[in-house]
Amino acid sequence: MVFVGIVITFLGFLLAMFSVGLTSSTGSRLILVLLGLAISLAGIIGVINPAYLKTAIWKK
Amino acid sequence: MERKMNMKKLFLAFAIAGCSVVGGSVLGQTPAPVSSPPGPAVAAPSPAEPAAVPITDADLKAISAPAAEDKAKGDPSGATTGTVGDIPVGDAKKGLAVGDVVNLVGQHQIAINFVWTLVTGFLVMFMQAGFAIVETGLCRAKNANHTMMMNFMVYGVGMLAYWLIGFAIQEGGVGAIANLGGTAPLVGEYTIHLFGKDLGLWGKTGFFLVHHGSYDVGVMVLFLFQMVFMDTALTIVTGTCAERWKYSAFMISSFLMGALIYPLFGNWAWGGGWLATLGGNFGLGHGYCDFAGSGVVHAVGGITALALGIIIGPRIGKYTRQGKPNAIPGHDITMVLLGCFILAFGWFGFNPGSTLGASANGNLRISSVAVNTMLAGMAGSFGSMLYMWIRYHKPDASMTGNGLLAGLVAITAPSGFVNPVASVIIGLIAGVLVCLSVEFVDRVMKVDDPVGAISVHGANGLWGVISVGLFADGRSNYGGSWNGVGGSVTGLFYGDASQLVAQLIGVATLVGFVFCLSFVFGLIVDWAVGQRTSAKIELEGLDIPEMGALGYPEFVLKVETTGVE
Repeated sequence: MVFVGIVITFLGFLLAMFSVGLTSSTGSRLILVLLGLAISLAGIIGVINPAYLKTAIWKK
Repeated sequence: MERKMNMKKLFLAFAIAGCSVVGGSVLGQTPAPVSSPPGPAVAAPSPAEPAAVPITDADLKAISAPAAEDKAKGDPSGATTGTVGDIPVGDAKKGLAVGDVVNLVGQHQIAINFVWTLVTGFLVMFMQAGFAIVETGLCRAKNANHTMMMNFMVYGVGMLAYWLIGFAIQEGGVGAIANLGGTAPLVGEYTIHLFGKDLGLWGKTGFFLVHHGSYDVGVMVLFLFQMVFMDTALTIVTGTCAERWKYSAFMISSFLMGALIYPLFGNWAWGGGWLATLGGNFGLGHGYCDFAGSGVVHAVGGITALALGIIIGPRIGKYTRQGKPNAIPGHDITMVLLGCFILAFGWFGFNPGSTLGASANGNLRISSVAVNTMLAGMAGSFGSMLYMWIRYHKPDASMTGNGLLAGLVAITAPSGFVNPVASVIIGLIAGVLVCLSVEFVDRVMKVDDPVGAISVHGANGLWGVISVGLFADGRSNYGGSWNGVGGSVTGLFYGDASQLVAQLIGVATLVGFVFCLSFVFGLIVDWAVGQRTSAKIELEGLDIPEMGALGYPEFVLKVETTGVE
């Protein structure tokens, strides 16, 4: 799951970066960048961190 | 219910009033002309200007220097020290010429900028002392030596990495910096061709400070200033990982961060990389703008801290078996608040020094940058103190200190582009944000951060980057352009929404790219040497097992045991 989380987080960055080449409209770029940011945050908070919490030291 | 409605109305009224003060109005605002000069709208008729009379060599020769016998009497008033007699003459036979004076004026401008940048760099270096005592004070006495040593040696290991590799990657393609008289040797940038544009990825010149002509006085100033910034980013991570980080893992991680992680993002933002050129290449405002490093320094440090904090895991005793967080108080709050003051002092080097000069090219804005810095720090400490007072009924000292730092972190990116009212708003939001973020990281993510570095530097670093895209008022002018785009940096509230998009791309890069890179490096170090000390060592305290000596050998320390071997 950690690997999946890294991929999702990185894909969010790529979407934000490529937004400048996908469209020239400021509004559309804004939406794509916010979407990319949300995907990256979901990768960190929703996938990577929970994967580590499953084996957290306080659960042992 | 009615009280809630009243509170909502009151909040709405404050928000509208705040936006009106800062931006005139948020919606439908006609932006002020970017290059409009300050002063009355209608120019008064000016009297006829006298015709310019060129100064000749003969005019200069008519100016007499103080007589030697007068100077021999001493100069208690200072009236005869520093006169025409002190101007170096290029050709002794010809005597003083206009060219000598003009050359001296040019050198004085660069000298002022050198001295300014070096002295502010020295102030930033002293921030390491502030970080050291803030972090040590917020940790337990049994780990004082270990925490102090990490803060001490991060300076050395970071500098070594940056000198060997990091500086060249970050600044190797920055080109000529006019304020420093050139830095001409730094012209090698590796680029890729994408979307019809050249996008810079990393620098290729300046290794060891001798490669490709980089043994240059201007390059040396730039190196010193950038080096102390890089070290600030590195020392943020030691706070989050304190009290359980293996010292060998800390050394390797810090080297990797100083050599690769920090310089890469630094190049993209400050070294002529693809983020800086979003304006010129894709019409997004002035490209990614980060005046002094809310993103480059603080968010990079805070996000790397988050990545390593997740990998290392919480300290023993931080969470109950049900996952409820326990407070683990630091051992010396006096150190913490003193450290915050030292950091606030150093920030006067961090932000105003980022002009890289005090003379010409709009650099008199240093006064505005300094005032914005102090105002935001003040607002941040108020914001967090009031939040804690209202929510927990006590004005918590450590969080108030963190609020001061949060305000300073947040104003770091916009300090050169915003007005004082915006600075207070940015700082106030930062002060509240740091408290909310600490609660989120602690209770929801369950990432143990003994000093709150993820929230202070990560969350507020990102907020600082975004705030440029909102509050930049289009009145700053550093030599007529920024990131190669003419005019002044202007945010959403002053009419340029595209600047906010550029800032958000920077935020997405920090969250999506810097996190992944730091995380992967963290996993490699974990696989190679192990990131975390054993439970036995952690309970005993890291001072003896890791460092060989106690921080406070004459103290009687309380030893915790849970039966873990």
